[in-house]
This record gives sequence, structure tokens and C-alpha cells, in this order.
Amino acid sequence: MIDLAIILRRLVEEGVAFVIIGGVAATVHGSSYVTDDLDLCYARDSTNLARLASSLAPFIPRLRGAPADLPFIWDAKTLRHGLNFTLETDRGNVDLLGEVAGLGTYEQVQPGALQIKLFGVTCAVLSLDKLIAAKRAAGRPKDLLVLPELEALWEATHQPSK
Amino acid sequence: MRQNTLDPEVEQRLREPPPGSAIEAARTFGIDLTLLIERLRLTPDERVRRLQQAMITVAQIRGAAHRAPGRHPPDQ
Repeated sequence: MIDLAIILRRLVEEGVAFVIIGGVAATVHGSSYVTDDLDLCYARDSTNLARLASSLAPFIPRLRGAPADLPFIWDAKTLRHGLNFTLETDRGNVDLLGEVAGLGTYEQVQPGALQIKLFGVTCAVLSLDKLIAAKRAAGRPKDLLVLPELEALWEATHQPSK
Repeated sequence: MRQNTLDPEVEQRLREPPPGSAIEAARTFGIDLTLLIERLRLTPDERVRRLQQAMITVAQIRGAAHRAPGRHPPDQ
């Protein structure tokens, strides 16, 4: 189980550039689905990779589902050589995406993101229309499953008043 | 817990979805629209805190299931 407060506060306090996407973003917008991890789109400039690596290091990130004897070093160099990481940490599962299906990189995801205060810190959260676009583009059954609810939320909250 | 102000028009759309709307499609799909009304009355921070509480509950249930006699083997 992810400890959202600990992870989010740590990332914000360390100045990491990220946008919350996935199930937690859906919750922010009113979704009733329960997720089990934290999905983040992160900036891939050198400064941010160093900040991201150092901020999560205390939680001992390792590759989720990988054999225990598979070598894995958590640092900025590893982040630079990869793109998307599904991680298990001592504070829960964190998925780091350098690129989001249907949306692109952090630089394309961040504009229009909402600035929302969560657990006492201000976080960037993917807008509902972009979240819907990402789920459509991902196209996996688990993404398509949540689309009717997200589309209903968008329609309910974005229609002009009569 | 402080309640967020929910626009009455938003609540109305969710209580009585317009025919052919995405809201009606969601209800047909099986989405409980009253849950959405409930969530939208909360602030975003309150929604995420509630999610965290739900995660804790699910983890506790999974833990109890694993400890139960005659349980199924854990997922691989």
C-alpha cells in the first residue's frame, strides 16, 4: 500500500518536477475507484533526475516484480538510461513515467495541470480531459474500465450552466 | 468534515442524467452516480485522504485473508 502523504511531501519538499496521473489523479477529480499505487510523470532534465533519485532513495526503490538477484542501482544514471519505471518502495508502489501514452513527455503533460493542495503540499495533477485522453490512448482493459466514470465526471462538471 | 460546495446543476445532472449523455451511459455501465455526488462534495484533498483510508482497509482485509486457515496461496 502506498503512503501518499509521505511520498508526495518528500517529492515536493525536494523540488521534484512531476505531475500526478493515473488513479490518484482520477480520485482528485471525483472518481470512486480505489487504486493501489501512485503514478507520476516526471521531468527528465539532469537536475530533476538527481532530485528524484535522492528524494526516493530513503524508501529503497527496486523494480517491482523483478527477480531478487537482478542488479538494480537506484540513481540518476539509471533514471537517465530508462524511461518508465514500475517501482516497489518501502512506502508502496510508485510508477514513474517519462512519457505518457497519448500525451507525451512531462513538458507536454504539465501545461494545464491543476495545482492542488494534498496532504499540506501543492502538487500538479493531470487535468480531467488529459486523463481521459491518456486512458483512451493506453487502451488496456483496466484503462477502458474507468473511462465511463471519468467521462461522466467530465460531462457533469464541464457543461455550461443553463 | 468540511463539505465542498457542489454546484446544484452538477448534482442535478448526476441525479437525472440527460438521455443519451455520457452520464447516462456511465449509469448503464454500472457506475453508482450517488458515489460521484458524494465524492464531488468533498475537497480534492479530502477525496485523496479517503482513498488513502480505503487503501489501508483493503490492505488489512488482504492481510486477514492471508492469515486465515485454509486460505488460497498468495498471488505470484
